[in-house]
Formats: sequence, C-alpha cells, structure tokens
Amino acid sequence: MAGIKIQDLNYCYPETIKPALNRINLEVSEGQLLIITGNSGSGKSTLLRAISGLIPAFYNGNLTGKIYLNGIDTAQIDRRQMVQEVGMVFQNPESQLVMMNVEQEIAFGLENLGLPAQIIKRRIMEISSSLGISSYLGHNVSELSGGQKQKVALAAVLAMHPGILLLDEPTSQLDPVAAEELLNVIRRLNEDHGTTVIMIEQRLERCCHLADRILVMENGVISADIKTGNRAGVMWPPRVSVTYLPPLPGLFARAGFQELPLTVKQGRQMIKAILAAGIKPDLSLGDFGDLSGKPGEALLEITDLWYSYPNSTDEVLKNLSLTVKEGDFIAIMGENGAGKTTLLKNLNGLLRPRRGKVFLDGQDTREMAVEELAPSIAYLSQDPNDFLFMPTVREEIAFTLKNLNLQEDGYSETMLYKFKLDTYTNCNPRDLSTGERQRVALASVLASKPRLLLLDEPTRGLDYQLKEELGRLLEEINRQGTTVVMVTHDVDFAAEYARDICLMFDGEVIELGDKYKVLQHATFYSPQVARLFHKIADNVINVADGVVVLQELTHSIRQDAVSFW
Amino acid sequence: MLTYRFKDNLIYRLHPLTQMVFVSVVFVLALIFSHPVYLLGLLISVWAVILAAGSLKEWKSYIRFSLLMAALIVLINVFFSRAGSTIIYQGPGLPLIGSLEVSLEAIAYGLGMSLRLLVIISIFCFYSCAIDPDKALRLFSRMGGKSVLAITLSARLFPLMIKDFRRITEIQRCRGVNLSSGSWWERARNSIPIISIMLLSSLERSMQLAESMYARGYGSGPRSCYERYFWRPRDRFIIVLTMIALLTGIWSAWQGWSSFSYYPVLQPIEHPEVIGAIIIASVLLLPAILNWGWMKWPALKSRI
Repeated sequence: MAGIKIQDLNYCYPETIKPALNRINLEVSEGQLLIITGNSGSGKSTLLRAISGLIPAFYNGNLTGKIYLNGIDTAQIDRRQMVQEVGMVFQNPESQLVMMNVEQEIAFGLENLGLPAQIIKRRIMEISSSLGISSYLGHNVSELSGGQKQKVALAAVLAMHPGILLLDEPTSQLDPVAAEELLNVIRRLNEDHGTTVIMIEQRLERCCHLADRILVMENGVISADIKTGNRAGVMWPPRVSVTYLPPLPGLFARAGFQELPLTVKQGRQMIKAILAAGIKPDLSLGDFGDLSGKPGEALLEITDLWYSYPNSTDEVLKNLSLTVKEGDFIAIMGENGAGKTTLLKNLNGLLRPRRGKVFLDGQDTREMAVEELAPSIAYLSQDPNDFLFMPTVREEIAFTLKNLNLQEDGYSETMLYKFKLDTYTNCNPRDLSTGERQRVALASVLASKPRLLLLDEPTRGLDYQLKEELGRLLEEINRQGTTVVMVTHDVDFAAEYARDICLMFDGEVIELGDKYKVLQHATFYSPQVARLFHKIADNVINVADGVVVLQELTHSIRQDAVSFW
Repeated sequence: MLTYRFKDNLIYRLHPLTQMVFVSVVFVLALIFSHPVYLLGLLISVWAVILAAGSLKEWKSYIRFSLLMAALIVLINVFFSRAGSTIIYQGPGLPLIGSLEVSLEAIAYGLGMSLRLLVIISIFCFYSCAIDPDKALRLFSRMGGKSVLAITLSARLFPLMIKDFRRITEIQRCRGVNLSSGSWWERARNSIPIISIMLLSSLERSMQLAESMYARGYGSGPRSCYERYFWRPRDRFIIVLTMIALLTGIWSAWQGWSSFSYYPVLQPIEHPEVIGAIIIASVLLLPAILNWGWMKWPALKSRI
C-alpha cells in the first residue's frame, strides 16, 4: 500500500491563473526518502503544502485532483488527524518557533491536540533524548544557534508522531556543519523509524546520497523522477537541465557521461575503472602560475588588527594583518566564530579596530565615518530583504545614489540590463524571487561604483543556477575593476569564482594565497572536484578544470581503443 | 521583561504561583498601609528577600533612581504642605508659595510616602528580576488562551526584532543612510527605511509563523495545558504564611492601626501597631530564611 498517492493534482493560488501545480501524479511508498529539487517558483513548496493539507486549507486557491494518505482521501481527514499524519518543517528556523522556551515549543503542538500533560511529558522526554536536545530543553529559544533552532522545530513536529515528515529546504539557512548534523538526524529517522520523508533541497551534494528517489520539478510539473539505489551512480535523463546537479555529477554530465556519480567515492570508482581499462595519460593540468594577474596597488591594508566586542573579553580578531590589492577577488573561509564577519565589519567602519589600523588607499579608516566609507566600500549581507523597501526596483537603486549625493549618469540603467533586471524596473522588489531580490540588492549597493565590494555569505539559500549566475556576475564586476572580498562557507563556490582564498581560524589568518595552492591538498576545505581527482590529477579544483580532465580521459580511452583495433 | 536571568537559589526555584502571590500580597499591603512602621517592616522583608535572591545589584540601580524620586517627594511636600504645626524653620517670603514654612510633620509625611514608594519599587524590581515572564504568563494561559498566546508571541519576537533592527541599521548605514549626525528631525526621517524594512519583514514573518502554527494544529479544537512546575512543601509554607501576613494586614487596617495621621501633629506610635508590623515583616521574611537554610543545610534542601 502506498504511503502517499497523488492523482491529477492541479492547483492555482488565489487570484492567479497560472497553475502552480499542473497535473501531478505521484506515488510515494511508505518509508521512502524522497528529495525534490528544482528552481524557485517550480512548485516544489506548493506540492509539499498540498500534501500537508496547508493547501488549500490555509492558502485557499483552486485545487483539483486527489491526494490519498494510506488509501484515505485527505479531503476526508479532519485537521487534528491530519497534523498527526503529516508533519512539516519550514525553511527559516526563526519564523516557525512560537514559544519562548524550548520545552514549551515542543509542547505547543501537543497542547493544540489537547493531549493530557502526562503524555506531553513523555513525548518531550523521548523526542529530546532522541534528537540530543535535552541539554537545552530549559533554554530560551533566542539563545540558540540556527542549527539548534532548526532541531527544535524538527522536534516540535516529531513530537506529534507523524508518519510522514515534510521538510521545505530545512538546511538552507544553516552553515555546512549544522546542515550535516540535521541531515544525519533526518536520515536516522528514516532508517531507524521508517518515517517517510519528503524533503526539498537545493544543495543536492549535501543529501542526494541519502535519497531513495530524486524528483526534479519545473514549471509546476515533475520533469524527472530519478531512482538512486545502490548502483554506482544515477541515470540522469538527458532532457533535464544539468543546472540542478551538484558540482560532482554536474561535472560528469558536462563531460558527456550518462551515468552520474552522487558521491566522491562513486566518482573515484568510475574514474579508476576507466583508468584501469586504458593507458594512463598525464591528467594533471599545468601550473597556472600566479593567477592574480596584474599585481595592482594595495587598496586595503590591515595591520596588526585586534578586536573584541564591548562587554566581552574574548578577542575575536588577533593581530591580523592582510593586504587586499586593487582587482583582487578573495574568498574568506573558516568555521563559525573564526571572526570572518567581524573582519568585514572592521573593514567598512561598522566596527572600529581596538588596536591596529585599517588603511583604505593609505588613509586611516578610523578617522572616517561609515557614511564616508560607503561610496568606496559596498556591503552585501546574507538576506536581501534587509535592503529592500522602495516600491520599485528603479527607486531602490536611486535610493543609494541619493544617499551618497551621487548623480545618476546612466550607469544604473546598464547595470539593470547586465543584472537581467531591466524588465522589472517598475516592479516591487519584494515581489521578485530570491535570486532576483539578491540581484536588486547587489545592484543597489553597486550603484555608487564602489572600489571594494564586501559580501557576507552571498550563496546562502541559492540554488545551483542562481549561484552560477551570481558567480558570473561577480566575475564580471571584478573584471571591470571592482575588488571583491567575500565571506563564504561554500568551498565549491569559492573554488569556482574566487582567485585567492584566505583561511581564518580563531581570529587569525592561517593562510592566504592562490586558490589552487590553498584548496588543492586541503582536507576539510577542499571542493568536491579536488577530492575527486586527489592523487589522480593535480591542479584540478573546479568544474571547468574537471571537465577538461574528464574529457581528456575519455578521449584517451577512445584513442586507445582506435589504436587497439 | 528582558532583565530576567535565572539564578540558582530557592527564590528562583519557587512555583510561579507562589512568587506571584508573594509579589501581589506585598503590593496590596503597601497600598493599604500608610503607617511608617508597617511600611518599614515591609521594606525590610522585601529587601531581605531580594538579597536572598541575589538580585541586590539590580535593586541598587532601581533604588538609586527611586531615592531621587523620594527626595523630590519630600521637597515638594515640605514646600507646599501647610498642615504641620511643629515649625522647625521659618524662611523668607517667596513669590507664589508665600512664606516658606518647614514643619516636622511635612517632612515626616514626605518620608512616609517615600517609604511606600521604595516598597513598591522594590517589589517591582523583585518581580522583574526573579520571575520568569514566560512562567508567569503561563499561569494565566488557562484563563485567556488567545490573548496569552499573543503576549507570548510578542515576547518571543521582541529580541528578534531588536536583532533585526541592529542588522538593518548597519546595512542601511553602509548604503549611505546617515543616522549619526544631523538634527533630531533629520535622523528620524533617515530612519524611515529601517522602520519600513522591519515592518515588511515582520509582516512576512508573521505569515510564516501563522502557517507553522496552523501546521501544528493550532485552533483545531480545545487545547490542553502543559506545565512542569513542581509544587513543593516550601511553596505551601510560603503561601500559607503570606496569607497570614495578608490577613494580619487586613485585620490591622480594620482596627485602624495601619493608618497614621501626620497632621497637625504626628500621632504617637503604640504597641499593638508595632507588634502587627513585626508579625507581618517576620512572616514575609520566610522566603529569605528558607533560602538561607536551603543553602546552609543540604539535608533541608531535599526536605523542602
């Protein structure tokens, strides 16, 4: 008997004509772990909400077709029963927690069901031990980290004992370590308890090896239904765009492979198999030499910088010295609490060095106000919503110019075009999709033609396609002379687009140098592609390099075969 | 509301109902009594409880402010009150007020009122330092479901909004929004973007919160109430004795002992009044005494 069965499901949001879901037919058997991926606006979240009953109950709109849970039509199930069958965890941990205290949060759903206190107590005890959150059961929600909050949200849903767990991009707001931890919990639930899991994920590299099935959605339809299983790789239908693929299988797809590996282990086995079949060509790419190009003048000079926050004795930055040259593209990486964001804020004047100095073009920034630095140093933070409030995109960009007393010289028009925003100039920026919002925010800080662009976790919550678009845009901006410094947890993104990598640990710069030198032999901070070719080919860290090597490899096999015949 | 920090002592570990009863009884008594001896007794016991709760530091900052207020009360009373008969200082004539007369009774009256102010401020300080707002709120959740939930939600969102405000301010400053210089009016006008972003984001967040609550069955039928506060012997002791204090207070008021006439001459202080005050003060000292015993004897810890 199928866990979930969906028949001819169509759905339109209220006051829209375009269907958000278009003739969906799907069967998910009990205990499956299913991952749904696809661009934003493809209907993934809508499908999840339809399964949970939030659509149409909470959203209204026009729904046709049927959804069966264990053979029963969901339209016949009352809400109290429904929330105990299907649990839903949302994207943003901040905006799904209701109570102040962790224990009360877990109790919230159970109280809503009218369960007696004795049972609530029992459920809280069990769920908190099994998710490992007992130690902060009495804490206030506001004291927790993002990963802990998301675990609490998961616990609050699981306490209601749902047989089906739906998760809408649960890890998108988390750093890689916290994301990994959450995904492990989800896998354990699926494996040990047989809970059916349907999870939307943009970053397949984190989780696709856990999945039994991967669905790709496009424009409200399921465009691919891919079984994973125990084979070496997955068969990716050629008609489905490779932009949904993580770097590793994407690399194989771009090199013309049909069967794609999902993990580095599978990929290495495939390469080893090819190597075993033929002669071994020299796969290493040449040393690229100094990629930083023209040396450039020092734009930003940081000397012996120390910083500790007021009311704290912890030194967040310790004797840090760093030179950023004109035209550099540097990615700053390091674990949480390494001081990356604090460093950025010391650069644009939001924080003032306690000791040491920061020079911009030889001028001590301690003597300059944030507002004085703003025309030269632009700052883009994680959440584009923190920027946008004007009624139209055009006004949003004009707002920066007006603040900085700059004249509009037609530059913003060219920028809107370049950022593919020219068709939205009169739209409200808040009505746009995530990627578009981010581009509006980026355009609005770049309107002043700053010399330095600082970015804090720009790839958080973006899918592969949006990441690629952002990366290309940053490359272009950089090529035109803006120096870029970004803080990121995303090793693959850094390997792909940055030129230099700066590793920070505990308030110090551990290493700064060309990305090939820094990332090539790294263990934790190494991109999937570098791990794939570790000891097979040198100087390969990003997809473009990897495609060259893979094609050379397959080419050599073919040649080998020709000479054999 | 944000001053609550858990401290490990008996006072913080009391059942929220006990804490609330203690606070309300002291507050009511402070309003009933005008007799300085009673008020002094109340002040001593509240002070001892605050000391036992380890909130002396917070209390001092409250008191610094209220002593200023007290001084003001005394001064104003001295200047404007003409009812006292024991003149201790005859000043020169002043415009509007007339001739300045300082009477002993007026000073005493001002001091008496200040004493009442100190008791009320102190009990308020105790309330905000030692009682978890979340727990206090849940005490009432059985009565008014939705309104209590609304208050809980706002208490939960408040720190979040402060964080939002800081972050958005930083970001907009980097976009050239000037918030550090200019006139008051200019700065207020420049903070419009920050306020509108916060408003927009809060609206979006409230929609998501509503969805999450709906998905967890909120409003699907009658709710139950889960609380895990234990009722211990100490709670019973304290509630019973606090009630004795309240009854003694009411009885004293009935007998007319708790009021005090300052004018035209100070009323003499008599035995039954002092005894009543001592009974109330010592009974209300119980939480502090229990806390002391709780710290001192591990054996007592498990018994009460």
